[in-house]
Amino acid sequence: MNTLARRIFSVEWSGILAAAIAGFIALALLSPAFLSEFNQFVLLRSLCITLLVAYAQMVTLGVGQLNLSVGAIGGLVAIIAGGLMDAQGMPVIVAVPIAVLIGGAAGFLNGWLTVRTGINGFIITLATGSAFTGINLGITKAIPFYDLPPAFVAFGIGRAGILPYLLIVPLIVTVVMLVFFRRTIPGRQLLAVGGNEHAAELSGISLTRTIIIAHTLSGLLAATAAILAVAQLGSAQPTIGASWLIISFAAPIIGGASLQGGHVSVVGTFIAVVLLALIQNGLVLINVDPYWVQFLLGALILGAVWINRLRAVHTGTD
Amino acid sequence: MTDQIQPSMWERFRTFFGKGSTQLSLFIIVVCLWVVFSNLAPGFLSKFNLNSLGRSMAIDMVIGFSQMVVLVTGGMNLAVGAIGVCAVMMSGFLLQDMGLPIPLALAGALLTGTLLGWINGFAIVKSGVNSFIITLSSASLFSGGMLILTKAVPFNNLPTAIGAFGRMRVGPVSVLMLVAIAIGIGLLILYRYTTLGRQILATGANERAARMSGVPVDRAIIFSHALSGALASAAGLMLVARLSAAMPAVGGEGWLLPSFLAPVLGGTLLSGGYISVIGTMLGAALVTTLRSGLLVLQVGNFWFQLFLGIALLAAVLLERYRATTALRREVKQT
Repeated sequence: MNTLARRIFSVEWSGILAAAIAGFIALALLSPAFLSEFNQFVLLRSLCITLLVAYAQMVTLGVGQLNLSVGAIGGLVAIIAGGLMDAQGMPVIVAVPIAVLIGGAAGFLNGWLTVRTGINGFIITLATGSAFTGINLGITKAIPFYDLPPAFVAFGIGRAGILPYLLIVPLIVTVVMLVFFRRTIPGRQLLAVGGNEHAAELSGISLTRTIIIAHTLSGLLAATAAILAVAQLGSAQPTIGASWLIISFAAPIIGGASLQGGHVSVVGTFIAVVLLALIQNGLVLINVDPYWVQFLLGALILGAVWINRLRAVHTGTD
Repeated sequence: MTDQIQPSMWERFRTFFGKGSTQLSLFIIVVCLWVVFSNLAPGFLSKFNLNSLGRSMAIDMVIGFSQMVVLVTGGMNLAVGAIGVCAVMMSGFLLQDMGLPIPLALAGALLTGTLLGWINGFAIVKSGVNSFIITLSSASLFSGGMLILTKAVPFNNLPTAIGAFGRMRVGPVSVLMLVAIAIGIGLLILYRYTTLGRQILATGANERAARMSGVPVDRAIIFSHALSGALASAAGLMLVARLSAAMPAVGGEGWLLPSFLAPVLGGTLLSGGYISVIGTMLGAALVTTLRSGLLVLQVGNFWFQLFLGIALLAAVLLERYRATTALRREVKQT
C-alpha cells in the first residue's frame, strides 16, 4: 500500500469522513428534497446543539471520567434561563450569562464531589443528574416558560441562506476546543491525567484541579447547548436535555475518543456529529420510522467501538 | 495490656455505624422513615397505601436484583430498563396478538429477556469492551428495536387473570412480594452455596486472579448478564400484572437510578466481588418508602428525583466512610 493511502488510513477520522461523504451523496441521490435550501438549513441547525452536547461529554471523557448529568444540567440551565427571562423579566444579556454560570457551577459541583469523595464520577454524576432533574421539575412542575424576548427567539430561528445564526456558537466553540487541547497547558494536562493519572500526578500535575476543570468545562458546554436549545425552540422546556445522554457519548466515541481517557479527537467528534445529523435527516426524508434512529444509534456506537478496537490491535502489531 | 477507657457517646455512635453491618443500619433507616412518614401523614399506614407499597417494593426489589447480579462481576448493566420494556411488550404481544396461554406467554417473555441479557454478556466477553459502553448501546438498540416492532402501541386487552394475579394477596402480603422474596432466596442460595455463585464472586473480586486460578470467567460474566436479563424481564412481567396492561412507557430510563440505588445502598460493592441480597431488598424498601412517603405527603413526584440523587450520594459516602474506618481500625490493631 503506497504511502499516501497509508497516511490517509492512519488518520483516525478518515473512516467516518468517508462515511459522511458517502451518506451525503447517497441522500442527495435518494431524495430530491435533500439538497433544498430549507433542508440544508434544518440539517445545519440540528448540528448546533448536538455539537455542544458532544463536546461537553468529550471533555470529561478526555480526563477519563463520565458525565451522566449533561442532560440534567442542560434542562436545569434551560429553565433557569427561561425563568429569569420570563418570570423575572430580566434582559437576555443578564439572564444568559447567569444561566451559563450556573451550569458551570453544576459542573464544578460534579468535579468537586468526585475529587473530594474519591468516588467514581459515574456514580457522582448519576446522583447529581437525578438531583438536577428533580430541582428542574420541582421548580417548573413540568410547565415550560413561554414568554421569551423576541430578539432572542429571532436569533434562534433566523438564518442567512442555509446558515443558521445559531451555528456561529458551535463553530467558535470548535475552534476553542481545538486550541484548548492542542495548545494550552490546561488542555494538555487534562489529556495527561486521562491517559495515566499516576504518571501525571508524579509529573507535578494537580489531579484535583484538572478533574474539576474538566467537569466545570463540561457543565459550561452543556449550559451553552441548553441556551441554544431554548433559542431554537422559542420556549424553555423542562424536557430539554432528556435525550442528550446517548448522543453525548455516541459522537465522541464514534469520533475516536478513548473511554479510558487521554485521547480525544475534536475533528472526529465534529464529523461524527455531522454523520449523526445526516442519519437523522435522511431517515426523516426517506420517511422511515423515527424509532430507527435510536436503534441505529446503538448499532453505530457498537460498530465504532469495535472498529476502534480493531485499529488499536492493528496499530499495535503494525 | 492497654487500659480500657469508656468510649464516649459519640464514639459509640460512630462504632455502631462503622462496625455494625450495612444491612442493619439500612433497616433502622427504613424503620425511622416509616415512623416519620406515618407521623406526618396518617394516610401512610392505611391499608390502601400499604398494599400499593408492597407491590411497588416487590418490583423495585427485582429491578435491584437485576442490576445486583451484574455489579457483582464488577460491571454494570445500563440496559435493565430496555430489557424490561422488551419483555413487557413481548408478553403483551404473546398474550394478546398470539393468544398464547398465560404460562407459555410468560415463559416466552422471560426467555426474551434472558436472550437479550445473554447477547450483552457475549458481546462484552468477545469484544473485551467495557460493559458500560456495550450496555449503553444495547439499551438503545433494544428499546429502538422494540419501538420499531410495536410502534409504541400498548396492549390493553390482556387476559383478566393477569391483573387478578397482580392484585392477589396471601394474608396481608401481596403475591408479587412473595415472588420477589422467592427470587431473593434463590439468589441467596446461588451465591452462597453453589460453585457457580462463588465463581462469579471471584470474577468480580479480581478478574485476573480468578482467570489464572482456572475460574471460567467468561462463562461467569455471560451467565450474570443473562441472569440480569431474566430478572429484568421478571420485573417487567410483575409490572404487567400490576398494571393489567403492557405498555412501552414503563421501564427505560426510569429504572436506571433505582436499579443502582437498591444494591449500592444495600452494600453490594460497585467494584464487584461482594453481594448482599438482603441489603438490596432493604435498599429497594428504602427507595419505595421514599417514593410513597413523598407521594402521601403530597410533596410531588418531582422532588422524588432530587431525594433519590441525594440518597445515592449519601449511601456511597457512608460506604466510603465505613471502608476507611475499617481500614483504620485494622491498622490500629496490628
